[in-house]
Amino acid sequence: MRFADVQEGDELPTRRLFLAKEQVRDYARAANQWSARFTDDEGARKEGLPGMITPGNMSMGLLTGLIESWAGPGVLRRLGTTFRGLVLPGRTIHLCGTVTQKDEATRTVELDVWLESDEGERLVIGTATIVLG
Amino acid sequence: MPLDLDPAVLGKEFDHTVYGPVTPEELIAFALALGETRSEYTQPGPDLVGHPTFCVRYKGDKFYPDTIPKNINVRSGFDAGKDIELGVPVRPGDTVDVRSTLHEVYEKTGRTGSMYFVVIRFTMTNQRGEMLAIVDNRFMHR
Repeated sequence: MRFADVQEGDELPTRRLFLAKEQVRDYARAANQWSARFTDDEGARKEGLPGMITPGNMSMGLLTGLIESWAGPGVLRRLGTTFRGLVLPGRTIHLCGTVTQKDEATRTVELDVWLESDEGERLVIGTATIVLG
Repeated sequence: MPLDLDPAVLGKEFDHTVYGPVTPEELIAFALALGETRSEYTQPGPDLVGHPTFCVRYKGDKFYPDTIPKNINVRSGFDAGKDIELGVPVRPGDTVDVRSTLHEVYEKTGRTGSMYFVVIRFTMTNQRGEMLAIVDNRFMHR
């Protein structure tokens, strides 16, 4: 993706994926976040959760994948997120984004990105800055 | 309840931990768990680099400083969000130097009462002194 190819208001191609529990466990292991809330339904319920949940860090990683699949690798400079709701594995999620601003001087592009449930609830929202050539 | 916080504690380093060296296997396992297929994240070799969010796995040995106001219950709370500023990518063999500071503490009042937000900043550099990432972790406590 080149800077000239991007327009404010452009939408990133939405990524729809089934978030398997085993993938979340793999992430928890690889990210040094192995704890009951991210790996085990029963253990998570003992913490007052409805079942195992997806680490917020993993949601950020998935949103980064959305951005890079659209713009290319190595372009991300900043990503800020707010975790608004529980991302429960074993369900389908949607990764979405839109271009909000371009800056010719710095060749940066601002994005709104979010992760939403199959029901359309935005569980993670964020903004990102990328640099394009 | 007003926060009992000495502003002088903000920005002061309370933990310094060095991790590594990072192995190719760690970088690849992290990327694969995110469903990545790009060769630069998943194939061993000279071009292998860490996924941009790889650094969030590092937290330092001590997560909170002793200077947290006493009216914040640090034993209960949840991860409210993160801001990451990215520098150079992590490469195999890198060490990850993590310096932790209390960046911000603030209160919000909602329908269910007061919520306290604690922002811990991790500044991460490699063995060459290059910035890998600055990660602001925002936690919410009742």
